Order: sequence, then structure tokens, then C-alpha cells
Amino acid sequence: MGYKMSANLRVRIGVDVGGTFTDLVLVDDRRGVIFTGKQLTTHQDPSQAICEGVERIVREAGLTIDQVDGIVHGTTLVTNTLIERNGSCVGLVTTKGFRDVLEVGHEMRYDLYDLFMEKPEPIVPRPLRLTVTERMSAKGEVLEPLNENEVLESAARLVDGGAEAIAVSFLNAFANPLHELRAAELIARAHPQIPVTTSVGVAPEIREYERTCTATANAYVLPKMRRYITLLRHKLLELGFGGTLSVMLSNGGTAALSVAENAPIQMIESGPAAGAISGAHYAGLSDTAHAVAFDMGGTTAKMCLIENGQPEHSQTFEAGRVRRFRQGSGIPLKVPVIDLIEIGAGGGSIARLDRMGLLKVGPDSASSEPGPVCYRKGGEDPTVTDADLMLGYLSPEYFLGGELELDTSAVEGALKIKLADDSGLTMMEAAAGIHAVVNNNMAAATRRYIAEKGRDPRKYTLIATGGAGPVHAYGLAKELKIGRLIIPFGAGVSSALGFLLAAPAVNDVRSQIVLLDQATPEAARVMYDQMSETAVAQLIAGGADRDGIVMKSSVDIRYRGQGFDVEVELPANFLKTDFRYALRQSFEEKYKLLFGRHITDVPVEIVSWRLVASCPRPEVKLHFEGQQIDRREALKGKRRVYFAQSGFVEANVYNRYGLSAGTTIQGPAVIEERESTAVMGPDTTIKVDQYLNLIVEIEDGRGELV
Amino acid sequence: MSDVFDPISLEIYWSRLISIADESAAALLRTAFSTVVRESNDFTTVLMDADCNCLSENTAGIPSFVGMLPSAVRSFLQHIPREEWRPGDCIITNDPEIGSGHLPDITMAAPIFYKDRLVGFSGSIAHLPDIGGAGWAGDCRELVEEGLRLMPVKFISEGRENTYVTQLIRHNVRAPDQVIGDIYAQVSAQRVCAAGVQQFLEDTGMDDLVMLSAELRARAEAAMRKAIAALPDGSWTSSVRADGFDADETFIHCRLTIRGSELEMDFEGTSPQIGRGINSVLKYTTAYANYPIKCALDPESPRNEGSFQPVTVRAPLGSILNPVFPAPVAARQLTGHLLTGAIYGCLAQVVPDLVVAESGSAPTLRTVFGGRTRDGQSFNQVLFASGGLGASSRMDGYACTAFPSNTGAGSIEVLESVSPLLVRHKELAQDSGGAGKFRGGLGQDIVLDILSDSPVNISLLSDRHKYPPKGLLGGTSGSKSIVALSDGTRLHPKSRSVLKPGETLHIHFPGGGGFGSPAERDRAAVKRDVEFGYVSQDAADKLYGVQDER
Repeated sequence: MGYKMSANLRVRIGVDVGGTFTDLVLVDDRRGVIFTGKQLTTHQDPSQAICEGVERIVREAGLTIDQVDGIVHGTTLVTNTLIERNGSCVGLVTTKGFRDVLEVGHEMRYDLYDLFMEKPEPIVPRPLRLTVTERMSAKGEVLEPLNENEVLESAARLVDGGAEAIAVSFLNAFANPLHELRAAELIARAHPQIPVTTSVGVAPEIREYERTCTATANAYVLPKMRRYITLLRHKLLELGFGGTLSVMLSNGGTAALSVAENAPIQMIESGPAAGAISGAHYAGLSDTAHAVAFDMGGTTAKMCLIENGQPEHSQTFEAGRVRRFRQGSGIPLKVPVIDLIEIGAGGGSIARLDRMGLLKVGPDSASSEPGPVCYRKGGEDPTVTDADLMLGYLSPEYFLGGELELDTSAVEGALKIKLADDSGLTMMEAAAGIHAVVNNNMAAATRRYIAEKGRDPRKYTLIATGGAGPVHAYGLAKELKIGRLIIPFGAGVSSALGFLLAAPAVNDVRSQIVLLDQATPEAARVMYDQMSETAVAQLIAGGADRDGIVMKSSVDIRYRGQGFDVEVELPANFLKTDFRYALRQSFEEKYKLLFGRHITDVPVEIVSWRLVASCPRPEVKLHFEGQQIDRREALKGKRRVYFAQSGFVEANVYNRYGLSAGTTIQGPAVIEERESTAVMGPDTTIKVDQYLNLIVEIEDGRGELV
Repeated sequence: MSDVFDPISLEIYWSRLISIADESAAALLRTAFSTVVRESNDFTTVLMDADCNCLSENTAGIPSFVGMLPSAVRSFLQHIPREEWRPGDCIITNDPEIGSGHLPDITMAAPIFYKDRLVGFSGSIAHLPDIGGAGWAGDCRELVEEGLRLMPVKFISEGRENTYVTQLIRHNVRAPDQVIGDIYAQVSAQRVCAAGVQQFLEDTGMDDLVMLSAELRARAEAAMRKAIAALPDGSWTSSVRADGFDADETFIHCRLTIRGSELEMDFEGTSPQIGRGINSVLKYTTAYANYPIKCALDPESPRNEGSFQPVTVRAPLGSILNPVFPAPVAARQLTGHLLTGAIYGCLAQVVPDLVVAESGSAPTLRTVFGGRTRDGQSFNQVLFASGGLGASSRMDGYACTAFPSNTGAGSIEVLESVSPLLVRHKELAQDSGGAGKFRGGLGQDIVLDILSDSPVNISLLSDRHKYPPKGLLGGTSGSKSIVALSDGTRLHPKSRSVLKPGETLHIHFPGGGGFGSPAERDRAAVKRDVEFGYVSQDAADKLYGVQDER
């Protein structure tokens, strides 16, 4: 699917294969309608749920499968394979003397006090890590030529030892990939059935540990992804689908299937990336320059900054953490991802008293099994959802549109036994406490995330999605002193919608340290000529129109001697004119923004050269009008709702499907839709905009700490 | 405990204060110049109340700095009276006794004002890339040789740089840009901390931190007392032998006593101080005695001075654990890191399940290289790497993992890109971990070539060349350190040497001690160790009685 084709596309389906549900969104541009669907994920064979879901949604839309022009697809298969460690048996061929890079890692403890902490096992066990004679210098000169016989012997031993995939990672290959490419070629020729991943093929950057992790993680998930994609393609063909099947990448762009087949590691964050893209879309709809996309579900909350309609990017991601949400407890990867944070705060997060008698919430989650106490599925520990029910935020009768009845009395018992009795709190205080603590956890993480970028949370708008997002958005905004909120219509499906809003994009990078003084257009061309050629070819292969492709070039740049680099965009004409002065200026500006000062007497050096080539985002007009009911039925009644500053107050409860564009509501108010409930305090004014999104202003925007 | 704070507001307030210290640390980390701070994590940030009690510290800080800042700021107040502290001031020192035990660390504090009142102090400690003198070396005979010493002075006065001080530093250190850059990174951290506290007070409506501070300390103290009280009363002794300096071997003797909810560590019987830089000032000794106690007994509650209220540390004046000023102290970690072994040797006699055997990474083995690259650029790099962790009653020790310090290893590719060093080999060292029911973590071997055109200076800061890390409860010792040239010549383990261009250096980082009798080790685990090359077939046969069946 590319720019040119997307302009003609009429019917497209976005599919998000999650841990519990497979979400689908169908957009029919011709009729201007959107349909949504949900299937239970079929873990044995995810393509089964996809095909059933596609058939069903197409039927519900009154179409036939041959009328579908494109399917964009994302999956948690990659990330889950690394968490559950059920990928393929991988062999590693590496430089002599460096057999244990994967096992030695950073040599640090991620928990300063736990003498018995669990460290992640290396993806490749030691017997399957073999070394060969070869050596590059840090500048890319060949110090020792590649011993080709050793490569062939090693590969044969690995295959005999059970390797289903092979990774090749040589020291300093980022500076010169010659040996890696040759070794891969030799192995592929000798063992055509074994997929080979080179480290420069997936992460051509300095730092051997991260690069080798990325190469081996890619090899680890690759056979599984290939089998899965082959099956999916086949099954969709059988159904009669003749359109383009593409995938969502972690960088927020879409790509041809071949990318998923060769570099599946690039799909590791496809779901969260889609959520961020949809956040960017809503920011754009309301002309919001600075937004925080806030997505809170059952086990996690994700926060992503959207600046001028674009989410920011990062080049690192930690996969397969052995302690949930604990930085340093996983495998560090070098992959282009949307820059977002994810913390263990969701509706299912469990509350408990710690050994100092303080109230803690999360990161443990009751998830869907056994679930919160109020689900009556065996959960005994009070959770955030239970607290939200007690505080009047959720309706016992209208949860998931009434499909699940919530049990208030069970929650009362659990709160009493697990929290109130031991802490001296009343039941309601405990419930209010759970809500406040989880909001505080999210606020602290968001504050840190924004502060690390040298920015002030107060200028942001909060865009809340996910089942629990709209319930907690008001409290979170008050803590962050954010004065404006957007609650999109259909907040529960917004992530799958992101698949249809994303454009094809390709990232590439070259690591080569160059002093800024020596950074001439000629030096830059050495990096960029090949990168842009490959990127354009890849996009065109996916159906893009060459003229529509936009190139964005940036560098990682730092003061010489400093370990931290910042990413700065290169000026538009950098391949033709001297860009050194302009680049130094933008570097110093960015540095000052981040650190409050800049330095004048230290030379500056470029560490890495980056390229993002992308096509324009497809235009999608969202029309949810079809789901509206009579506006006279909008007001459902009243209910007592708790707010920190006022205690329990009477609030109007609205059916969101009855709120038409232009409506204005004064808080306190509860606005219910099928997948979520928005709760707004007494100091809010809620307007329904032309897209049926709720735009909420908090009076004077500077609330007290809850 | 007071009734003023309920479990909810206390949780919210405390996590917010920790967050402020973390934000401050993030600012320091991002703006720091040197790889010492960035790659090796050698810094900490602290928030204190107006009486210099610690409220919170950054989550990932270095254990040695625990509890050091509060007493440093109390000393600052003796040098600069409270009335003379103004908004925007930043006061620094690197005096070993006031600060953190050696000159390369800068200790900085700044006052936090709210509604025109002094409500607290922000503080930070960071290891500078250089402090003049001999560089970071263990062989000096006097403190003055070890570098420039700054007594508490305003580095920044009401927001303005004290140019006299910056010039003094600039003209007395190598790499002045990096040094001043790192001190300014600390300044950034102080500002972030102060702004965070002011916002916090505004949000909560509190006027100061007094009540909150008392409550948090009381809670931390109560948690530690509960953990100590759970152990039986009694008194146990244990000791650790160390290489010392040349003929002056050193010895650490610990008597650990538990009475009710109080714990005392008395180091009477430890070696007298020596005339080289491995003396550990009492503050540093106390920090490295407290840290292993917290790991073993109360690992979950957040860091706060209250935790150590029930813990007493004594060391005789004039010993290597409490030297008489002005003793040389630059390599004090070589002594301080050994305390864990002596302390766990005591605890193992009563609660063996809570401790680990001695680690090959304690003390750290550091190699500091300096000289010129082939393009004539000057370079100064520390090779960060670690030996293996000691085994415990429930698991093998991890290979190559820092403990009790938590300094990470940098990337070899990065090292090679900024220095004329070529690393030929960096792999796990077979048979380096002590045998036992659980095996000590493996150490590693590093082999590197000097590729410069001119000689390279090297300073070694190492121990364990004579006495390996011991095992516990029948576990055997790990390996010993080795630092040698290709012809087998050993370098002096605590001195400066010069390496000729083209020379090859071999460094062995020791493995950790084993835990429990090797006879009890699971035979399948031994076979796996042989298959993985962690243990040779020969050693499996000799130590575990497991023969090759192939």
C-alpha cells in the first residue's frame, strides 16, 4: 500500500492482534462509514481470528471481501515471543574473542538492593555462540581478514546443534559491514533453508551489545513470523482477498510484508505505535500543537508526546523484561520506535499495603483472569476498576455497554479485608486512595518523561483513550496542571484506527563519528546516497509514488567527550551547501532547551546519521453519525460521584451517543459510551466538537494535588 | 508515628519526593560530560530537609553515597553559616572527610527556599574525570599528591559563577572543559531539585518539610527495626584478608551484634591505616557497612536515613577504616568494597539464606589509561568491567556483575573509537567461579593491545591478587586477579606504570565464591556447566566428581 494507491483506496481494514482481543476497524471512504469489531485472539493460530473477524466486519459493512482494497496489520506476536521466550533456536556467529557479549551485557544490577534478582537469559545459549577469525577497526579498516572456512564450519556446527536461524554480529561492523555481509552470504549459500540476520541489517549502529541483541532477537522471532505471514496471506487469498496486505512498524509507519518477513523485530511495538498515530490524528483534528496521548487499558498506561501533530521517535527499546516495567531487566534493542512510556497502571492494577504501611497500586495486575473483584470471576484483590466503581465513576449496570454486570458488595468486602482493616482508613477513603495513588503514579511518570525533554506539562492537552483512559484523564490532568482534555469518540478502538491513519515509512542509520568542522556536504553524501536509494526503492516496491516521498534527515550530535547525544534535524539543503553553522546553531538551541545552557568552547561531533523516508498520511474522514441516538435521550439520570476537592456530588449521567455536535455541558458529568466512561469534575466545561469528540476545559487549569 | 499523614497521602508524597530526586539525577546524567558519570553511573542526588535529614535519593544511585550528603551539608554549615546561604547558591567541596572519601568526587549542595524561608537542601555527588595531582592513583603517600582539594566554597553565588573558583579548578586539572562541564551538570541537578520541591510545597499546601520528613524517617526506621528484630540476638565475627600495599597486607575484622531491634558492626581488630591511598574514611566505611545490611534485611523500602537509625558502625581511629587525617585515600574503594564480605561472613552464621558469598567484583578492578591517540588527540579512559557475583543459597552467582558498587561496563566499540586501545578478547573465564552447591559467578579475561605511537600511562586500582573471594558454608573460593603483560610480567596492582606502544595487556577479573558444599551440587547443573564451558571437564571431575560420559 503506498501513497498513490492509498489515494484511490476505498475500503481498508486495520487489524490489531492483541494479547486478549483482535481488534478490527473498517473504513469505507466511499460511503464515509466506519465499522469496528472484536474477536478473541486465537493464540495457536492468530490468522484464524483475523480471518473470522475480517469476514464478519465485511459482512456487517454490507460488502464482499473482493471489495476490500487493503488490510493493515499489527501484532504483539513479536513482543510476546520475547516475553514468553518461545521463539526459534538461534545460533550466533561472532568475532573471535567476543563470544560472551550477549551474556556479559552491561554488567549492572537493575535492582540495587535485591541480591537475588532475576536477569534475562541471553537469547543464544553459550554452546550456540561460535567465533570466527576476523577484525575491523573502529574506523572500519580491515585488521584481520575474514576466515571463510571458519564461517562455514561454524554454521555447519550450529545447524547440527539445532539452530533454526543464524545471526551474524561482528565487532565494529557498523563502521564496515563487509565481513558480516560476506559471512551471511556464505552461510545462506551453504544452508539455504536457514534464515540469516546480520547485525548491520537490523541495527547498523555503534555499541556491540545492543546491536548483537537486536540481531539475535530478530533471528529469534523470524521463523515464527514467516510461518505466520505465509499462513495469513494464504488464508486471506482463500477468502477471496485480492488487495494489498501491509504491516505496521514500531516507527509508526506501514511497510510491505517483506519487511515483516526479514526484519520482524521492527514490528515489536506496532500496537502502541498505532495508538500514538491515532493520538496524533486527534491532535491534528483539533489544531492542538502540544498533546500527550494517554492510553490506559487493563494492565498498562501509555503516554506519548505529540508535537505539532507528530509523535516523537526514539532509537532504543527494551524487550522481554523479566521484571515487569523495570528498566534494565530486559533486552536492549536498537530499533526505531515511537517514543512513548509504558507503566504498570491500568484498570486491573492491584492495590495493597506495603511493609511500611503505605498504599501501593500496581504494577501487578488482575488482568482479565481473574480480573477485578467486581467482575465476580474469582478476583479477591481490590483493583483500580473496583475503586472506580465505588467512587461512582463506573456504572454497575452499564459496563461494556451492559454486557458485564459489576458487583459492588463484593468490592466493599474486599476493600475492608485487604485494606481498610489494616490501615485505619474507611472503605471509601481506601477507594479514593487507590484512584489517587494510581493517578499519582501516572502523573509522576509523565512529569519525568516531559521533564527529560526539558518541557513543561502545563502547556499540553491530554488526549485520553483506552477503556480506563477517560475515567482517569480528569484526575491525571489536575495533577499535571493540564487545563484541556480531548476524549475522542470511540476511544476504545482508536488504536486499531491508527493502522489506517499511518503512512509507509522507512528508517535507516549510519554510525560514523565525524567532527562537525569536517562535516561537509561531500561527507554527508557518503552516508546518505546509499541510504536514500534503498529507502526509496523499498517504498516504491510497496506501491509509493516517488514524487510523494518525503525525506527527513537528522544526526545524533554531541559535545566531544560527552556521552549523551541529541537528535537534531539537518537543514533541507545539507547535501549541497555548507551546513555546519546552521547545524551547530540548531544543536545549541536544542541543547539549551534540554539543559538550560550551552557550551561555547568545546568541539561538537556527529555520532550517527539518520534518515526517515515516508509517504503522506492517508486522509481518513471519520463519521460516527450512524451510531447516534435521539439527542433527547442523552441525559440518562444522575449519580453520586466522588471528587477529591468536593467529596461526593450529584453528577448528570449522559449517553454519549445522544450528544450531538455543538452541545455544551457543565461538570460534574459522567458521559458513558460502550467501551469507556468519561468522568469530569465540577470545574469543567465540556464541548462536543464537529467530530463528536469531547473537548474539556478545566477552569483556571491549575488544580490542587489530589 | 503521627496521625497527620494517612497511608495514601504519605505514599503519594513520598513517591513524589523520590521522583524529584530522580528528575534531578536525570538532569545530571544528561548534562554530564565524562564517561565516568554516564557509563558507570558514579553519582547520586539527594533531597534533604532544613535540618539536613535525607528525605529521598535517586533510585539508581551508587550505594557508597547513601547517607553521605546529610553529614556533608552539616559540615558545610560549619564553614558557611546558615544566614549566608542565598537562593541560587551552589556550594562544593571534594574534601575526603566532609565529602565522600576521596578527591575525585565533588559534593555539592544548594539551599531550597520557599516563601522566603530555607526549607531544605538539594545535594549531589559525582565522580569527576580528573582532579589534578597524580590522577586517580592508589600509590600516593600523601593526600596533597592526590590532587586539588577544595574546602566548602560557593561555586555559584546567587546564580553567578564564582570565577575565582572556576579558574582555580581549570588551571589545576587535566581536561578542564570536561571537569567544569560535569560540575555544571551538578548545578543543573540542584536547580531541578529546588524547582520540584517548591512546586511540591505549593501543590500540597505545606509550608515546609519538617513533619513529613520526621514521619518518613520514622516509617523507614520502623521497617528496618522490624527486620532486625526478626533475627535472633547474638554476636558473630568474621574477617577478610586483602593484598594491602606491597608488604603491608591489610585485614578487616568485623564483630556483628544484634540486640533486639538494634544492630552493631564493630571493626575493632582491623589493620592500622597505611601510607598509601587505600584508607577508607569513617563516612565511607559506614556507607559500605550499611548498604549490605539493607540488601540483606530490608531490600524493599525506599532509601532514607531512617533505615540506618538502628544500625551502628564503629571503627578504631587510626585504622584503614577510620584513618587519621590527612591520610591518602584515592583508592578507598579497594578497602570499602571488602566490608560486604566481612559482614556477610557474620550474617551467614545466623541467616545464611539472606546473603551471598564474596564477589569477584568486590573490590572493583579499574584500569585508567591516558596518553595520546595516533592523531595526537589526548585521551583518558577508564576500562569498566567486573568480576563475578558470589553464589547464594538459592542460585549461582551471575557472571561479570558489579557488586557492591553498581558501575556498568561501557561498550568496547565506544572505547576503541576514542582511544588507541584494541581489545583482542573479552570473554568469560572458565573455572573462575568458586565451586559449591551453587557456583560463584564467572569472572572475565580481557586482552588488549596498545596501538598508540607514544607510551600510554596506566594506573591500576586492584586487589585480590593474593587472596581470592571466599565461598560460604563449604563453597570454595573464586579466582584471583591477574594483570600482566604478554611476557608474563605482572604490573603493580595499585600503582602507575607506563606501557610501550605495541604492548599487550592481559587482565583477569576474578570469579565469585561458591555457596554450600560442591558435593551437593545438582549433577545436571555440573554437566550443563561443562557443556557451556563455564567449568572444564577436568574441574568437574576434581571438584564435583562428575566424569565425562561422552
